[in-house]
Amino acid sequence: MLATTLRSRSLHLSSSLLNHPWKPVLSGSGHTFSSSAVESNSDRSILDLNEIEKVLTDVRADDVKVIPAKKHAEWADYMVIATGRSTWHVKNIAQALIYKAKQKQKGARRMTLPSVEGQEGGKWIVIDSGKVIVHALDEKARAYYNLESLWTSDASKEEPDQDLDKAFIKIRPKRNNSKRPANRGA
Amino acid sequence: MIQSQTHLNVADNSGARELMCIRIIGTSNRRYAHIGDVIIAVIKEAVPNSPLERSEVIRAVIVRTSKELKRDNGMIIRYDDNAAVVIDQEGNPKGTRIFGAIARELRQLNFTKIVSLAPEVL
Repeated sequence: MLATTLRSRSLHLSSSLLNHPWKPVLSGSGHTFSSSAVESNSDRSILDLNEIEKVLTDVRADDVKVIPAKKHAEWADYMVIATGRSTWHVKNIAQALIYKAKQKQKGARRMTLPSVEGQEGGKWIVIDSGKVIVHALDEKARAYYNLESLWTSDASKEEPDQDLDKAFIKIRPKRNNSKRPANRGA
Repeated sequence: MIQSQTHLNVADNSGARELMCIRIIGTSNRRYAHIGDVIIAVIKEAVPNSPLERSEVIRAVIVRTSKELKRDNGMIIRYDDNAAVVIDQEGNPKGTRIFGAIARELRQLNFTKIVSLAPEVL
């Protein structure tokens, strides 16, 4: 029974993720990885965005931001950032999300829980539920890592490139000009 | 294939520039560390006026190796350098930004923080 469900799931996976040709193989046979369950469920997130937002408002997480992260990282659809008032609060945010995932799959034969990272510290906890990644940080860590600027500002990334192009265009001819007469003279 | 005495580049803005591996964490008698392994390293070279100093002992996660990384579908990833990201005891990265491409295996090995900071995931 178990084997058949597994097989059907992997078949389903390979068909649904054809546009990511090498992802299914990774998830299908990477059972040594701790969060392979998360990866194999990536076509259908364990928690969807509305549920996460509801949980976050219920536990009164401050300053919740949802950033569509397709541009920055193709491995996730949405990044959700939330601030907790203390390390305990941050831990509770993570616990509430895990609890929600458990409640949602109550009675299922195999539960797939989101992989959680950083639960001991409580400064920055990442709940990776497939396509939606929730980052719960305390205030200091949020200011320190400044994740919003990393994922929202795409314009700032392009500007240096443009400047570089301009610089090359401007400088190259000048250098060539200054060298050539000298060479000819010599 | 990172072993003790291997020098690694630093792929973040923590302030360290070059590390030397002195110990692989996890097993007692393992010879080589690969991508996603945590090592103890000593800072061989640091950026001036940064929080990290030379000859400080830190933890780091290996993110790039010149030794090829094989995936089950036959794909092979090999980088030009050996690089690591400095982390603290809790697993939070010391730096706030990460440079260069990073393999997606790190996500399965529970380094989602590093992956989400990275500019490119292979």
